[in-house]
Amino acid sequence: MKLRLDKKDFHSFLRGLMVHYELFAPVQLGEGVSVYKKIGDPSEVALLPSNPQKPAKEVFFPQSETMFRYGKVGVQTEVTSTEKVERKRILLGPRPCDLKAVSLLDSVFAGKDYRDVYYVNKRNATTVIGMACDQPLSTCFCSSMDGGPFFREGSDLFLIDLGEAYLVEVLTEKGKAIETNEFLKEADTNDLELAREIEQKATKKAETSLSLEGIEGRLDRMVESPFWDQVGEKCIGCRICTYLCPTCHCFDIVDEDLNGKGERVRHWDSCLSSLYSQETSGHNPRPTNRERTRQRLMHKFNYFPKNVGRIACVGCGRCVLYCPADSDIRETIKEIQKFKCQSSNAK
Amino acid sequence: MIQERLRQKAKELLESKAVDLIVGFGEGSLPLRATPIFIRNPQEVNRLIWNSFCGHNLSTYLHKLKSLKVGLVVKGCDSRSAVALLLEKRFKADQLFLIGVPCQRMVDRRRVKRAVQGEILRVSAQGDELIVEGEDFKTTLNRKDFLYPSCQVCVHRMPLRADVLLGKPVEEFSLLETHPEIEEFLGKTPEERWDYFERETGRCIRCYACREACPMCYCTECFVDSSNPQWMEKGLSPSDLEFYHIVRAYHQTGRCSGCGACERACPMEIRLTYLTQKLNEDVKELFGFETGVVGDAFAPLSTYDMGDKQEFIK
Amino acid sequence: MVNGIEIGWEPKILAFLCNWCSYAGADLAGTSRIQYPPNIRVIRVPCSGRINPLFILKALQGGIDGVLVSGCHPGDCHYLSGNYVGRRKSATLKRFLEYLGLEEGRVQFSWVSAAEGGKFSQVVQEVIQDIKKLGPEKRFVKK
Repeated sequence: MKLRLDKKDFHSFLRGLMVHYELFAPVQLGEGVSVYKKIGDPSEVALLPSNPQKPAKEVFFPQSETMFRYGKVGVQTEVTSTEKVERKRILLGPRPCDLKAVSLLDSVFAGKDYRDVYYVNKRNATTVIGMACDQPLSTCFCSSMDGGPFFREGSDLFLIDLGEAYLVEVLTEKGKAIETNEFLKEADTNDLELAREIEQKATKKAETSLSLEGIEGRLDRMVESPFWDQVGEKCIGCRICTYLCPTCHCFDIVDEDLNGKGERVRHWDSCLSSLYSQETSGHNPRPTNRERTRQRLMHKFNYFPKNVGRIACVGCGRCVLYCPADSDIRETIKEIQKFKCQSSNAK
Repeated sequence: MIQERLRQKAKELLESKAVDLIVGFGEGSLPLRATPIFIRNPQEVNRLIWNSFCGHNLSTYLHKLKSLKVGLVVKGCDSRSAVALLLEKRFKADQLFLIGVPCQRMVDRRRVKRAVQGEILRVSAQGDELIVEGEDFKTTLNRKDFLYPSCQVCVHRMPLRADVLLGKPVEEFSLLETHPEIEEFLGKTPEERWDYFERETGRCIRCYACREACPMCYCTECFVDSSNPQWMEKGLSPSDLEFYHIVRAYHQTGRCSGCGACERACPMEIRLTYLTQKLNEDVKELFGFETGVVGDAFAPLSTYDMGDKQEFIK
Repeated sequence: MVNGIEIGWEPKILAFLCNWCSYAGADLAGTSRIQYPPNIRVIRVPCSGRINPLFILKALQGGIDGVLVSGCHPGDCHYLSGNYVGRRKSATLKRFLEYLGLEEGRVQFSWVSAAEGGKFSQVVQEVIQDIKKLGPEKRFVKK
């Protein structure tokens, strides 16, 4: 089902949705900075041409999430869990790369072996209105990661920016619930034609020549390669790539309390921090940036494919754009792909 | 010109084994960027570049290279950080060979990005001009209008300590009494100042890029990770974000060279140099000390003077 | 409420007192039966140079409305120069916190000797008055 939403009706459309749903969408925090937040008024929504710094994973897997609260009430200890999601939610504006990443996170947090109740409850309660990427950047390489600027995987509704209006594709049952909104009209053939053109142009623009063929095996064979010295040398060991990466999902759980009252909180953590693998004996199996950057790349292109069958990178390009040392994962992958198996390095 | 001399000098140093490696700048994979490179082979010196995008403070890499003799490419600010590190006895003087480059001040890529419509695909610098090209635009900008905030107020652009200087001395500013931005900030009410600080730090995502990019932040256990005592929590409460930035900035008192690496590294574009510059100003006013300028002085907070001001003490 | 401050609100003030001078001075105020309001909580430290700015910040974040740091007069420090180094830290920290927008007067410093019971009481009363005018610490406290 293909519908049309005029941009002049956009705020009213959102206001109508907000009667029944909590709305999460990108908000602009500074001149070049935006993040996903819960929306108070539709005027806060900022659908900019490029991705917000913080990825859409934040809506399902917040950076800091209280798991439960506890406190003394008289002589009893009361524990209040925060797993319940009270109201239905809409996630507006994520690009196909972020949504592909969310489906990767589903295999971690909502897989067959383990279901994380905090994540699952939010996922189930959320209808996703994804946005097509009509202006891919030169730093985007989603097409090399089994993705693309118009990939619809993960969207319940899919918006394509036609200029004066959005084309709205209704893709799932969840999306159908919004179909009857008064501001959604039927799209005409001009709209459909324009959307096709935009899609073709964007898909062409997003073509990249980065090949991942055989990378898993190659990484197995180059674990001890001096190549990793090079990669680790210029890394400064901050957490930008892991925090801004839509697929990264490591976390730490801490108890924060004062005077008998407190909460258990889950925070994002980063394998690039030296404390991440620090053992209480003082030994650290990943003592330098060499081991840590190697681990990160192995996780994305070797361990995750082995465990789950998918590459844990969606080509959004945030790590390329924001790395303070200007490390470029595309260059790193190209170097890895040049690696030839030498018998001394064979496993 | 400087680039040629840089490559030549690097080759000499590596061939004569005067240094184990050269740490300098190489071509970035994106426009408006350079990237830190580490060269051990004299054949590779042509990877070294010198342009308007060499903003990183390379002194931050010294901590990982302590057992080596390092040839470090330094601008004014970087050399002052290196001197500050020597003062703190992080290295012996003979472990460092400072390759000094007079700095023409660095271009702020975010400001350039905001001055154009569309993605920037190519940039070339010609004298004072930046020619910025995208898919359907080509603009010429005056580089002087697009400098980093820290570069705009930089006094010591010359490396004040260098084992070799690769260019003619550049004109220094006369010593600024105070920075215009700080003046303006002081003109606001305390409430307005705190609101600004809260708004800026409110964007923080605790990625610690500011800390890692800073050459002076090298504690093996940072105060944020201390659990006994635990000073602050790991979340994103506004108070904790403010706490982190207050303390990280304050820990630079008497140590900060004003390079702006912290601000440059931040993915959320938080303003940070207006904090450290104020501390630098206070240290200059109260103790007559400027980081990295006088090589043999004691760090100001580890010493004292009988005549130190105390009018604020009851 | 008067000026945004609840009537009857009493500030909580933390006083870091150096063991050899200021703490002894406070003790003398006590034995001399000199009266002053009970708003301060005392933390005894070996020397005013021991003060880590993190103490002051953690106090303010935790709900303390004002901090007093008091040490020996210059020249009298039991550890010879601790108060001199402390003086430099205090100067830079105070300026920095006020620059950021924390109200002037929230964090105060004094020299009180072991013989100055009267001065201690006076300093404390001044600090309490100043904090009462400023109201509860709302900007930095963790909510």
